[in-house]
Amino acid sequence: MERTKNGAVKLDFDGQGIATLTLEMSGRANKINQEFGDGFAQGLTWAKGQQGLKGIIVATGHKDFCVGADIDMLYQARDPKRFYEQVRALQTGYRQLETCGVPVVAALTGSALGGGFELALSCHRRIALDDPKIQLGLPEVMLGVLPGGGGTQRILRMVGLQAAADLILPGKTLRPQTALEAKIIDEVCATPEAVRAAAVGWILAHPGAKQPWDEKSFKFPPPVPGTTDFRDFLLAGSGMLYKKTAGAFRAPELVLRCFHEGGLLELDRALEVEARHFVNLAVGDQAKDMLRTLWYHRTAAEKHEGLPSTDQEGIQKVGILGAGMMGAALAWQCASVGYDVVVRDIKDEVLQKAMDHCRELTKEQQKRLGEEGAKALLARISTTVAPEPLKGCDLVIEAVFEDLELKHRVTKEIEPLLAPGGIWASNTSALPITDLARASAHADRFIGLHFFSPVDKMPLLVIIMGKETSQETAARCLSFCRKIKKTPILINDGYGFYTTRVFLAYLMQGVQLVAEGHDPAVVEWGARAAGMVVGPLQVFDEVTLTLVRKAAPQAKKYGRAVEGPGIDLLIAMVDEHKRYGKAAGAGFYDYEAGKRKGLWPGLKALAKGTPTATGADVVGQRLLLAQCVEAARVMEEGILQRKRDAEVGAIFGLGFAPNTGGPLSCMDRMGIPTVVKELEALAAAYGPHFTPPKLLVAMAEKGERFFEVV
Amino acid sequence: MPDAFIFDAVRTPRGIGKSSGGLYTVRPVDLLVTVLRALKERNGFNTQEVEEIIIGCVAQTGEQGTCISRFASLEAGYHYETPSYTVNRFCASALETVNQAAARVAAGWSDLLIAGGVESMSRVKMGSDVGAMFDPAAQWRVGSVPQGISADLLATLRGFTRADVDAFALESQRRAVAARGTGKFDRSVVPVKDEQGLTILARDEMPRPDASLEKLATLKPAFDMLGKQFGLDALVRRKYPQVDRVDHVHTAGNSSGIVDGASGVLIGSTEKGKALGLKPRARIRTGVSTGEEPVIMLTGPLSATRVALKKARMELKDIDCFEVNEAFAAVPLMYMQELGVPHEKLNMNGGAIALGHPLGATGAVILGTAVDLLEERNLSTALITLCIGGGMGTATIIERV
Repeated sequence: MERTKNGAVKLDFDGQGIATLTLEMSGRANKINQEFGDGFAQGLTWAKGQQGLKGIIVATGHKDFCVGADIDMLYQARDPKRFYEQVRALQTGYRQLETCGVPVVAALTGSALGGGFELALSCHRRIALDDPKIQLGLPEVMLGVLPGGGGTQRILRMVGLQAAADLILPGKTLRPQTALEAKIIDEVCATPEAVRAAAVGWILAHPGAKQPWDEKSFKFPPPVPGTTDFRDFLLAGSGMLYKKTAGAFRAPELVLRCFHEGGLLELDRALEVEARHFVNLAVGDQAKDMLRTLWYHRTAAEKHEGLPSTDQEGIQKVGILGAGMMGAALAWQCASVGYDVVVRDIKDEVLQKAMDHCRELTKEQQKRLGEEGAKALLARISTTVAPEPLKGCDLVIEAVFEDLELKHRVTKEIEPLLAPGGIWASNTSALPITDLARASAHADRFIGLHFFSPVDKMPLLVIIMGKETSQETAARCLSFCRKIKKTPILINDGYGFYTTRVFLAYLMQGVQLVAEGHDPAVVEWGARAAGMVVGPLQVFDEVTLTLVRKAAPQAKKYGRAVEGPGIDLLIAMVDEHKRYGKAAGAGFYDYEAGKRKGLWPGLKALAKGTPTATGADVVGQRLLLAQCVEAARVMEEGILQRKRDAEVGAIFGLGFAPNTGGPLSCMDRMGIPTVVKELEALAAAYGPHFTPPKLLVAMAEKGERFFEVV
Repeated sequence: MPDAFIFDAVRTPRGIGKSSGGLYTVRPVDLLVTVLRALKERNGFNTQEVEEIIIGCVAQTGEQGTCISRFASLEAGYHYETPSYTVNRFCASALETVNQAAARVAAGWSDLLIAGGVESMSRVKMGSDVGAMFDPAAQWRVGSVPQGISADLLATLRGFTRADVDAFALESQRRAVAARGTGKFDRSVVPVKDEQGLTILARDEMPRPDASLEKLATLKPAFDMLGKQFGLDALVRRKYPQVDRVDHVHTAGNSSGIVDGASGVLIGSTEKGKALGLKPRARIRTGVSTGEEPVIMLTGPLSATRVALKKARMELKDIDCFEVNEAFAAVPLMYMQELGVPHEKLNMNGGAIALGHPLGATGAVILGTAVDLLEERNLSTALITLCIGGGMGTATIIERV
């Protein structure tokens, strides 16, 4: 047996004539960069030089097969010419692999993502280990780029336009079984040894293996590029995509162009087209902003970088007070990771409903949980009207109505039942933790855990430190957070904390724009065209108008006056027109059987005046700036402890425009001096809630930014 | 500047553009051969006298590919010395050929030409030429949507209800049925025959004497699914963010019919007419094309009309008769709403909703209809205009001599 090694791959050549290129880069992961490219190319040359070569297996020496492009390299890339050459070199390397003359098999014993999966796509066969932890796919679009290692072209030629679009546009990653069903891998095996044996067997049985697109007889899976069917599908595909993105995201658009423009060409030249579109995205601003937040900041938050930690969480029994939608989903989430949960509500029927909801959620996950697992999960949840069963809870999460007195009362009643050292958490979305903790006998173990609805889908958990909350309490809650698979941001106390304040600024700015006479439809579209996930009026209907209407006096008490034409319009909507929101069947929109039917035609009449300038751009910019200025204020007040949290919190908590990377990135991109100037103009025209905080003014003067330039 | 005259205008009947239609078995080339032969026979010229044949055709692919006009003229027995080319300006292609021919006469460059168009929509499907229009890049950069979506957008922005467009459609049917029944199309329509001389189709197939508001009301909106389910309504919001909801009012009953047909117009100078003994039927005063916002796409007739009137030094009130192509009912409704033209003066013998719109041929078809109307009703001037894919308009003003 021949053996050698370079910086990227370990090389073996066995007695059967099979060369194995084992990806094993220094560090824990295989990622695509210069070292990888050079090492892989050298390995391939070495393999081709072996006497009696029958085939090649590409395998991994790490846990993952290959996790894709080195994000640092991608993030830094700004020079289109240089980056294009790098991308083309990688594409050429992959092309050389699939045209090397012998069968090549990818042994996927670990996750293969992005460029790593594209490497597998350049093999003649993909055999994966049947392990549900393994992820396969092309998630690039999620980060504002596209698969630039031939992924758009090979997937298109393997599974056809529709399946390719379904896979690449949402950046889906699949488990091996699902990937097999999707026909993007060819085989799964139970053990790594079986994967290797299957690879060897296939190589020996298929000496003349070629990629389908390199066969003379290659037929495109329908619809065939250039036909009316292909055009019709793309036409509808573009429409559906645009409906989702409102044109704010560039990557999915360019993926469609890769399909269309590349599909018409021979693979070798199609790769050039893909490379151009990839480079266009990668060197552009949107990808930088998205990568910074959705990759670096998100990963850092998920890894709890810079956050307190402990190996003594000491939480087994969790009590949840209030069994509404939030309480029920929270109970389920806790039980699903092994906590014992007691849910308490004062109404029995509410508890019944909560259990029904838990059963529904279990059913959705039945396949993953298995029958036993599902049973065990539900068995971990119990409900009670009486307080006693809460005795011995290590953590109580209070999710009762947002009323200081009520919360105080509940704390006094239940807190004594906590196990020694137990933690009291409030799921309040606004009330200061320090104020709530006044009713507590041990404010050091009193904390804010602000979840987002629906809990089973929303990834964010805002952890709020009251004045007296201890680092240990925070560390134990962070451990709990990790277990229930939430992404944390850890912030300081203050009315509305962070996300609620920014969210409220968004809602109220939407209403103010309508009050000023901007067409409500333009307000909604302008928001989405700026990248906001949901328009302000639509999302206002979902949180209900009454909630904000009632919270206004409370906010005032905390010195957060909600004033101006926006609040007047809101009051008119609630008090005069009795339009309370989606649940009530009438809000800014009309509803029919819970389905949105269109903006309420009476809304325009509530406007006071005509704006001097309007349009989706004007409105979109205002909606972003209203949130950015609030984020800057929260930053200035020291409520945010780290910039990362501003970005992660806004995007995952309230649906802030992901294309911008978050409010701070958004201001960096506009230029802080420009932001200050615009805010000053807006403040002069529309009120002090636009006044730029000192923080921004100082930054503008000093020429500072929130994040480094790339 | 020499005058450009229309000596004759002919067309085939319009056959329903489906496999059940009267002209489905006829090659597109033969539709064109029919009108070219008719022009030659009716006017008795030596084909070498014709200096150019310009033919409009939209889906220039399959049987309509490779410059169909050249091969139709050769098959029709025209001398090979007469050259030919094929034009695509979408729905106004044939009117564009009329304008090009007239311009050549007016420039003194040519003295006798044939303009016209052909489209067999049953055999060469609309959009089968694929093309640049719905390339994803065009969709995202320009906001290209199918015309039906544009038509519904136009109706939404201008407040035309389903009742409005259906009422217009019914009147188009009523006028077309009456005109066909009283022989108003006989002067222009040339029956399509087989090689044995047996008639395949002699008159327009589409008009429905049994049309009624009740029946029209039962038809499903044609672009509802495309707009809502396939998200194409969202594409219009790049340009029209205020359109929260596109009102899908257009149906197969109030949009132009899909049909097969061809048209031909003999155009030339005073001298040539005299030399060949041809009697001018109308003078072409001017012909123009304009560009408009491409998402709403169908507003071209407005600007084309304004520019044509200006070029001809005329005013709206100087026009006796308007032919505005009924691509969708919202288009003539827009025309009347915007310009204040009364319905009595517009599409007097019905339009494409009742009679059909063979894309590449229609411009010269409705020009011929206008020439007939001027003579029949003893009128003096007519303006012919069409809306065009991609947001354009073409208009021609003619005057009886």
